[in-house]
Amino acid sequence: MSSRLLRYVPKAYSSTGFPASVERTSFDIVVVGGGAAGLRAAIAAAESDPELTIALVSKVYPMRSHTVSAEGGTAAVLRDYDSFELHALDTIKGSDFLADQDAVEFFVARCPEEIIRLEHWGCPWSRDEDGRVSQRAFGGMSVKRTVYAADKVGFHILHTLFQTSMKYDRIHRFDEYFVTSLIVDGGACTGVIAMNLRGGTMVAIQGKATILATGGCGRVYEFTTNGFIKTGDGMALAYRAGVPLKDMEMVQFHPTCLPGTGILITEAARGEGGYLVNKDGERYMQRYLPGKMELGPRDILSRAMIQEMKAGRAFEGPYGLYLGLDLRHLGAKKINERIPMVRELTEKYMGLDPIHELIPVRPGQHYIMGGVSTNGKGETTLPGLYAVGETACVSINGANRLGSNSLSECLVFGAACGLAAAGFAKKKASYPRGAAAREALKKEEARVFDGLLGRERAKETVAGLRVEMQQLMERDVGIFREDSALADACGMLGKMRDRFAAVGLADKDRVFNTELTAVLELDFMLDVALTIAHSARNRRESRGAHSRTDFPQRDDANYLKHTLAFRTDGPPRIDYMPVTITKWQPVERKY
Amino acid sequence: MAGREYAWKRRPGWWLRNRRYLAFQLREAGGVVCALYGLVLLNMLIQLRAGESAYTAFLNLLRTPPVLYLNVVLFALVVWHALTWFMLIGKAQPIQFTRKPLPWKVVFGINVLLWLGVSGAVAYLIFGGI
Amino acid sequence: MAESDVLFRVKRYRPESGGRPTFQEYTIPYRSDMVVLDGLNYIKDHIDPTLTFRWSCRMGICGSCGADVNGQPRLTCGTYVRDVHKGAVTVEPLSNFPILKDLVVDFDDFLRKLASVTPYIVRKDWGDLRKEYVQYPEDVEAYRQQSLCINCMLCYAACPVFGSSPEFVGPAASALALRYNRDTRDEGAAGRLARLNTKTGIWECTFVGECSVVCPKDVDPAAAIQTLKFLATMRHMRRLLMPGASSR
Repeated sequence: MSSRLLRYVPKAYSSTGFPASVERTSFDIVVVGGGAAGLRAAIAAAESDPELTIALVSKVYPMRSHTVSAEGGTAAVLRDYDSFELHALDTIKGSDFLADQDAVEFFVARCPEEIIRLEHWGCPWSRDEDGRVSQRAFGGMSVKRTVYAADKVGFHILHTLFQTSMKYDRIHRFDEYFVTSLIVDGGACTGVIAMNLRGGTMVAIQGKATILATGGCGRVYEFTTNGFIKTGDGMALAYRAGVPLKDMEMVQFHPTCLPGTGILITEAARGEGGYLVNKDGERYMQRYLPGKMELGPRDILSRAMIQEMKAGRAFEGPYGLYLGLDLRHLGAKKINERIPMVRELTEKYMGLDPIHELIPVRPGQHYIMGGVSTNGKGETTLPGLYAVGETACVSINGANRLGSNSLSECLVFGAACGLAAAGFAKKKASYPRGAAAREALKKEEARVFDGLLGRERAKETVAGLRVEMQQLMERDVGIFREDSALADACGMLGKMRDRFAAVGLADKDRVFNTELTAVLELDFMLDVALTIAHSARNRRESRGAHSRTDFPQRDDANYLKHTLAFRTDGPPRIDYMPVTITKWQPVERKY
Repeated sequence: MAGREYAWKRRPGWWLRNRRYLAFQLREAGGVVCALYGLVLLNMLIQLRAGESAYTAFLNLLRTPPVLYLNVVLFALVVWHALTWFMLIGKAQPIQFTRKPLPWKVVFGINVLLWLGVSGAVAYLIFGGI
Repeated sequence: MAESDVLFRVKRYRPESGGRPTFQEYTIPYRSDMVVLDGLNYIKDHIDPTLTFRWSCRMGICGSCGADVNGQPRLTCGTYVRDVHKGAVTVEPLSNFPILKDLVVDFDDFLRKLASVTPYIVRKDWGDLRKEYVQYPEDVEAYRQQSLCINCMLCYAACPVFGSSPEFVGPAASALALRYNRDTRDEGAAGRLARLNTKTGIWECTFVGECSVVCPKDVDPAAAIQTLKFLATMRHMRRLLMPGASSR
């Protein structure tokens, strides 16, 4: 690296629309999404072979990825009081036995080395007095196995990975490139078509292997912890290419979100000893889960909150009903050391100090266990296409994810997927055919620039239709579901899918058109929302986070299987596939 | 079809936008003033060497009211410059005896006290035992 | 304008039309707990969909939403309208950066600078993946503050030196360099100091201190740069006076 800084260059795009620093159009691996999973996959591939070229394509700069907002921690077996058996059992039981047990066994065995590897890369894990990495208690975990970095674990993991990725020149970054479709040639995925936001052009980025790591789809709901960018892009891209989405009905609602904004208050607040109380000051969890109380799994806690609200024992505020998270007994020292961001967020967004006052909380959408159906190496049914992270469903989380397993999942499967994609790419002798990419590019330019951008603003607006969809999902496909509401949701979403054809744009620019990206995102979200609603309607049982008031029991005889949603010209076609059971036979999920 | 980026242009008078920018400009101006005053003192040495009359003439010039008023202003700027330097010390080189370094305000206070002490001693020497 | 309305003055710039940035005014409904970002989203969703700005997490951790609000660089998601409501709320793109469109600025230059300070652990011997490096809580505390940077670039917008000398490496990149230098697991301090000990490195800084004032995460980049000046000087002196001594 020369010691003289590059003179600032305002125009950084070549005539091809690629970043000026990137000279190739074909790569060994194209990673879509620059969060923990995408970065980990890119680094794993880069480390495996110095000859590999990797494109990291993201619609935002990688440090803006939603990984950054994760707070609580990341789980791994690091100490003698713990074991892989126990971590696997906790995860499988937490999943209400819908998790694929071979994948879980693979997962728990690799968490420790990922934590240590990140530590070696500089991640500032919080430490015990003896200098070793600290671990704390978390929901659904039988022992303290959640490694943490104060309560900014996602921020520190993301920045550590992003900065470490700068070591490798062979990771070529495409920042603020919005992927609009996959290139499928000869029955395989050979790259992506993306819109260069800053240049205002579309480009074809070819790859022998493509990894989707675009995160979840929380923004299909009205009240979510998720950032604006979580619109299920990768899920929709795979879905449109014929890959099924698995277990989409399994949506996680996190019990402690701030009313109004939906900002997340980490589970670690309960892990460090916080209580949940109703308006009578009662620790109401003793009526629902006396064994684990506030450290039960998230689905049980969220349902308990709704039931407290229905029973009239909740507080009332300007944003509706809420319960109280009590941290007052923890003391200032513990709060400031272990969960400082909880205090910062509560002070800033609620004007309250948790050292002295209750934090108002209510359940909100947070994560989706479902996603692009993959095997244990991130491979999808489309050769050359991989998926990893919240975008994918392996499945290790089944019907309910335990807190602090998802960051570990991004690391373990990010690495596994990166290596698998690298192996696949190395075996392919030649790069993809340019002709297929050029054709796909022409088609997308016509669809997006002529088709979408050209539409005049008429009755439907992107914001109006989006809010309608979000409110519908919130109302009908929320924590408690039943058939008539789900049928209504399926019907309305189908109509919204049609109404989308009438959405017009006021912003006709090609450069950085965020109205256009909002339209493209709404297009993705409608597809994804349809799979959620249909999958939920077809699962006539209650399991994990999927709670049917009309079918309140778990039904292993008929539903010990994964839901698959396939795209058709009409509503999604629902099918099923078996769950892999190795050691742990399904039993009643009691805590 | 790329668009043109608009190169940012700095507004003149940017330093009047807030208190801190203004304080910074004064501090920097103080540095210039210190340098210029050094030249004045250098000139005093030159006049001293040039002979009794030249030196006396220069001292009389220094005693005229406009120059005295100017000195008051310059002294204020020099003091401001020195104080801002002291504020910097605690941040630039943390002094650490315990788990956390000394807060910069403490280091600032110590330096101000030392400065007053040294200034007092010098004044005593010059004005001979007040 | 009703009692319960607020006036937003937003700087607009259309790259495909060129010309100069101009203000556009919008009157929107006011809520006592709204932040500036809420106002921008209301304008985009209900009044003018062409208004373009970056945002994502809305909780002050992703660093996307920096803008000059009433002349001060702030995160729009963390700035309450009630705190800046002086007749009107003026929102402009961050100072010192080229404007791409409306409130969106080009900061690729910053990412190059970030990459140039070797922002990762440098070590000869990586040891065993079965054991973490021992690092005591006070060691973590030594670099914790500088590790909190969310790359929001408010510090670059606030720095008048960066405004006049765009080659200046800048506050955030320098703070990150210090973060790695102070990490007990790292062995790359010498390389980073050599890299920063240049005219366009830390020596461009004249300690205005505005960067630390505007930083939403209390990283204190001003202190980081002055510390780096001291460390760089000490290293330079050691090498001058004791050539051939340790390579640190």
